Amino acid sequence: MGWKRGWRRKLTFLFMPCVSSCFSAAEEEQQAQSKKGLKKQQKEAEKAAKKAEKQAKVAAEQQSAEEDDFAKDRYGVSALVQSQQKLDRTLVRVQDLTPEKADQLIWLRARVHTSRAKGKQCFLVLRQQQFNVQALVAVGDRASKQMVKFAANITKESIVDVEAMVRKVEQKIESCTQQDVELHVEKIFVISQAEARLPLQLEDAVRPDGEGEEEGRATVNQDTRLDNRVIDLRTTTSQAVFRLQSGVCQLFRDTLTKKGFVEIQTPKIISAASEGGANVFTVSYFKTSAYLAQSPQLYKQMCICADFDKVFCVGPVFRAEDSNTHRHLTEFVGLDIEMAFNYHYHEVIESITDTMVQIFKGLRDNFQTEIQTVNKQFPSEPFKFLEPTLRLEYTEGVAMLREAGVEMGDEDDLSTPNEKLLGRLVKEKYDTDFYVLDKYPLAVRPFYTMPDPHNPKYSNSYDMFMRGEEILSGAQRVHDAQLLTERAQHHQIDLEKIKSYIDSFRYGAPPHAGGGIGLERVCMLYLGLHNVRQTSMFPRDPKRLTP
Amino acid sequence: MPMYQQGNSCSSEHALQNGEVDPAVKALEARQDEILRKLYELKAAVEGLAKTVTTPDADLDLTVSSSLSSQSSTAVFTGTTDLDALLGKDLGALRDIVINANPAQPPLTLLVLHRLLCQRYRVLSTVHVHSSVSSVPPQLLSCLGPRHPDSHSRHMFQLGFTLIWKDVPKLQMKFSVRNMCPIDGEANVARFLFKLLAPYPSDPALATLVDSWVDAAFFQLAQGSSEERAAALRDLGSALGRSAWLSGPDLSLADVACYCCVLQSGSAPSAPASVRRWIKSCENLGCFSHAKTLLL
Repeated sequence: MGWKRGWRRKLTFLFMPCVSSCFSAAEEEQQAQSKKGLKKQQKEAEKAAKKAEKQAKVAAEQQSAEEDDFAKDRYGVSALVQSQQKLDRTLVRVQDLTPEKADQLIWLRARVHTSRAKGKQCFLVLRQQQFNVQALVAVGDRASKQMVKFAANITKESIVDVEAMVRKVEQKIESCTQQDVELHVEKIFVISQAEARLPLQLEDAVRPDGEGEEEGRATVNQDTRLDNRVIDLRTTTSQAVFRLQSGVCQLFRDTLTKKGFVEIQTPKIISAASEGGANVFTVSYFKTSAYLAQSPQLYKQMCICADFDKVFCVGPVFRAEDSNTHRHLTEFVGLDIEMAFNYHYHEVIESITDTMVQIFKGLRDNFQTEIQTVNKQFPSEPFKFLEPTLRLEYTEGVAMLREAGVEMGDEDDLSTPNEKLLGRLVKEKYDTDFYVLDKYPLAVRPFYTMPDPHNPKYSNSYDMFMRGEEILSGAQRVHDAQLLTERAQHHQIDLEKIKSYIDSFRYGAPPHAGGGIGLERVCMLYLGLHNVRQTSMFPRDPKRLTP
Repeated sequence: MPMYQQGNSCSSEHALQNGEVDPAVKALEARQDEILRKLYELKAAVEGLAKTVTTPDADLDLTVSSSLSSQSSTAVFTGTTDLDALLGKDLGALRDIVINANPAQPPLTLLVLHRLLCQRYRVLSTVHVHSSVSSVPPQLLSCLGPRHPDSHSRHMFQLGFTLIWKDVPKLQMKFSVRNMCPIDGEANVARFLFKLLAPYPSDPALATLVDSWVDAAFFQLAQGSSEERAAALRDLGSALGRSAWLSGPDLSLADVACYCCVLQSGSAPSAPASVRRWIKSCENLGCFSHAKTLLL
């Protein structure tokens, strides 16, 4: 700005030596330069003087501060924990801070969720997974002014060790999970400092996408969350979701083990696409290529032919489907079951549905805290089911759809909108979010599906639905090599490619059936969430390979 | 009592090589025929006796069966009802009646009607427990009887009867969600189910009489105060003093409803003599006996 204003003057100043006599030009130039220089020097001197003054003031303050800081041993940034000493100190969990612990002096380690100074006090919210508690650093006989200031300046997400007195509160602290107590801090040390600028704010990440008072306030979009997954997973909602998911896996294993199933592990690098079709990932395998398994189907069945009778496996499933939908991932966790039966494949359906019901009951009875936490951000209807599970036949489903105005042929497959509509109709009539649709038309099922014994248009196959979305596709398998060959030929499948599969049934194979579910999809539907990426820790889809 | 095969289909299988029948086998067959004849006579006698108990003023008439044998093919109601006319065209799939009931108040009337329906039609019966209820006593799980051996093929049945034990304030029935609103209350569902068995009497006065007894059963006997109950029992007593059943010579919905409500209210022992006699008549009909076990 200064240059612009005085440019005429400056230019004339520059020109002037040229206009005046030549022999005094150099002299005058020197004069001008020294004038400029002087001004510059003056300015610099002023600046330096001001700086020095300021520094002296700060130093003086600091000195006086240090002199007055009686609490300086009770706070600060700790040295990096390199296992210097083995302290035998009990750290109390935030979720255990209840009125029973009132007036006890305790240590705990938590993250600083928020810190806010208010005059001579600093309010902190300390967070540990799904739980948080209010903490107070107040100037008094335990804390000094400097300590309060230090606490207020601790960056969000830093991990701190705190020694505090637990005190009961008169009024419930509505904003925290521990509502009946607060901590009066006597010592606070930073164990691991977080950088000042966070890529996303946790309060924004748990805010419901809402109307009313929440409208207009920031929320975090899915891509940002997934790009900064480590921080996003710290939210109370994420903690609850993945704890529930862990519960699903555990209930699956426990229920099946009690029923006498054996857990198996199947190979994921395979030589041929098991289901046929282009949706397989290829990997280079030494001098040749191999594929990543689309499902453990082939191996589950081989285990049955190997007399393991009832098996299940939990492992990754890879589908190279270029589907960018709310419910598809390229890699997900498959929970698969296969079982030999005595006379009727319904024995297997009953086993599978009973397992699902035990999982639902286990979640209903033991994970209410997690379900409520998720509902705070993503409200939904609680999951309802019947015991024993409702089983409808395909023809009944078609009749219900036709009654609702849908036009479809007897042997048509159900489109996704029709599946959703049927789910709603079933919910209206039977009030259940989980049911089985049995006896699908043979034409729309894979070649290894056993045809119905009385009606060649139908098959011994079934799908299971949660909240109107398919979670399991299963069937009685063809266990006769001859029939299997005929069915494969009917579907125009190259017999060479499935030779080893057909061979498994040549040396005595029991009748068997099974099915598989996706862990992420089941969790998403149980909780009433709308995108499977919310229930996958590090999701993989056609557009995402990191983190 | 099981029905034994008549006819000598066995004898041809026991023929010897030379075409003659072994005399020992013949003697055995003669004994078998004798025993079968005696069994038939016994059965007829018992059935006859049963008639006198159930319809004291009528002759030994075999057109109204007592259903002592639960597998009897002759049903209590032999009126003409058309399922297609009542429930809508059969779209090639099971017509499933869904009843949501609270396990704290088992609907005895509906269970009796279920038995009657099973005599008349091929009914697929299933019992479910809804997730809103944590558990139910075992007799409520088996209240619709043993599982039908063909229950894996739903389309082979004419009617579905699906009972769901659920935490509901009032009993509710759902059938065709598109065309029918839900039916609330045990009395109303009972009326609907009864009409699948037999039409109401065509005489409007008689039809109203049946309805007023059904109302008396649910509002006074089951839910009423002790005075209302006593008054209803007195009315029952005088009505049953005049005829064998509440709305004339035949069993009707009025009897089913009143019997169940009397049983549930626990007033049977203190009822007038005519009522106690009528209770015994009801219990002689196989379809009523099951209801009593559910009260324990």
